Amino acid sequence: MSIKVKTIVRYGRSWQERLYLIEVFKGMACTFRHFITNFLDNSKLYVRHYPEVKPEITPRWRGRHRLTTHEDGTIKCVACYMCQTNCPAQCIQIEAGERTDGRTEKVPLKFDIDLLECIYCGYCVEACPMDAIRMDTGIFSVTATNREEMKMTIDQLRSTPGAFSEEEYKKGGA
Amino acid sequence: MTLQDILLIIIRVAIGAFVPLCFVAVSVWMERRGASFIQDRSGPNRANILGFRAGGLIQNLADAVKLFFKEDVIPAHIKHKFYFVLAPIIVCVTALVSFAVVPFADTLVLGDKEYLMQAIPTDLGILWFLAIASFAVYGIILAGWSSHNKYGMLGGLRSAAQVISYEIPMGLAIISLLVVYGTVSLNEMAQFQGQLLFGFIPMWGVILQPIGVVIFMVAAFAEANRTPFDLAEGESEIVAGYHVEYSGLKFTIFFMGEYVAMFASSAIIVTLYFGGYQIPWFNTATLLKYAVPVTLLLMIATPIIAKFVAAWIRKNNVSHYERENDPRVREANVYIKIVWGAVILLEAIFFLYLVFASGGAADNILVACLQICTFLAKTTFMLFVYVWVRWTLPRFRYDQLQKLGWNVLLPLSLLNIFVTSAIVVALS
Repeated sequence: MSIKVKTIVRYGRSWQERLYLIEVFKGMACTFRHFITNFLDNSKLYVRHYPEVKPEITPRWRGRHRLTTHEDGTIKCVACYMCQTNCPAQCIQIEAGERTDGRTEKVPLKFDIDLLECIYCGYCVEACPMDAIRMDTGIFSVTATNREEMKMTIDQLRSTPGAFSEEEYKKGGA
Repeated sequence: MTLQDILLIIIRVAIGAFVPLCFVAVSVWMERRGASFIQDRSGPNRANILGFRAGGLIQNLADAVKLFFKEDVIPAHIKHKFYFVLAPIIVCVTALVSFAVVPFADTLVLGDKEYLMQAIPTDLGILWFLAIASFAVYGIILAGWSSHNKYGMLGGLRSAAQVISYEIPMGLAIISLLVVYGTVSLNEMAQFQGQLLFGFIPMWGVILQPIGVVIFMVAAFAEANRTPFDLAEGESEIVAGYHVEYSGLKFTIFFMGEYVAMFASSAIIVTLYFGGYQIPWFNTATLLKYAVPVTLLLMIATPIIAKFVAAWIRKNNVSHYERENDPRVREANVYIKIVWGAVILLEAIFFLYLVFASGGAADNILVACLQICTFLAKTTFMLFVYVWVRWTLPRFRYDQLQKLGWNVLLPLSLLNIFVTSAIVVALS
């Protein structure tokens, strides 16, 4: 078996190419073709009209966080501090308290995520043993007019629904 | 000096001063939209006033307002503040003044008086342009030096070296042109180009000097600091080059100067090589002779062109996504009404001319107006070529730039002079 040799064609050596001008005109013909098609019919542009037309988000996209709940509406989080410990940006602040609904012993009283600090690495999701925190809301644009609004509280995190079905999310590799 | 003299001076100076400044907006717009269309993007198309976007022209207004209200910083380390402030002024003023000798219409004859249609009615022509245009680089060098910044300094040095190497082929290309035209006056050059070669080809510089036009255009691109020769502001290597320390209005002046220079050199290219204000096959005498048929032809042509323009607006000024009661359609309706309004106005002017004024001095004025329009159309196309080349060719490396200038363009332009002179001597 011989070694596969791929000969790469070298351009720029022939006299037409060294003359440069012919290649310039070829290039200009190419750009002009693009220009004139788009100029005569601008529906052919390869653009998404962004604020009005949203991009498609895949389930694997790491968007804004949310806290998941059991079927009866109680929070899955057990305030184990795994995510807070694991967070490289130290944007999660948890305050634990006693749990009264009988599921476990602890529950987060406070669960703040400072989105200005968050780097959207997804380590909190990976660290969570209870599948209590997810980044599947599909929210990719987080904006606010002041710093306080960027701090997500437990209520905001709980009330945000996921953007994908359970099967889609699982298929996404989580 | 009669009222007519004063009025014509005002008109000529106004055209000479305001047309380049207005074309700054047009060329910036053309640059951004042209670039985006070449790259299959849509470019700035959102900024609007009451929903009217004017195809993105409003964005320029927003940019201008932004630049005007920015803080105008002179960094504390700058020792020569006077030169620092002077530099952008030199760039902008030289660019503006170099346009002043370009004729935008043939000599206007009113009664027994003749008016050269240039902002400065002089016969110096091309000499003036060469003298003034190479002054612009002083502004760039001064900016680079007085910035007291290594990037600025490098940008200024590069620009100086570049202008020195490209000034020579440019001058030599002009010499062979002078051999052909036998004059330095730009107006006489344009008149020369109104003749016909072999009776059917317009005798434009581009046909008489095919090598000269390439050399001159390459040199003009280098002179205007445009891609592929914009090493003076190569972002990837020296940040922004000579204007790295400039901000606010001073940067605006630099920016405007660059585009005015682009306009002025397009105007010069058009005047030297593309017939200037001449309409192909219709030189001034022919136009004057057939003023009435030409007007009739224009009266027929304007609505037909307007119909295509209206169809184009209707097709392209829509939202390309689901939208209830599309405001862009409403916008398009207004634009189309404006187009038809302009057509009606033009038709009325032509009609009044035909009924009341044809045959007199109005003929001359009509021809001058037509020639101004032709000149501006040609210059606009040349500006588009500048944009077109910018978004096609990558920037030259510095040694490639010098090699092209000294090893290729210089011998080529010398050869061009010999060949041209030989042909001119043989023919005379």
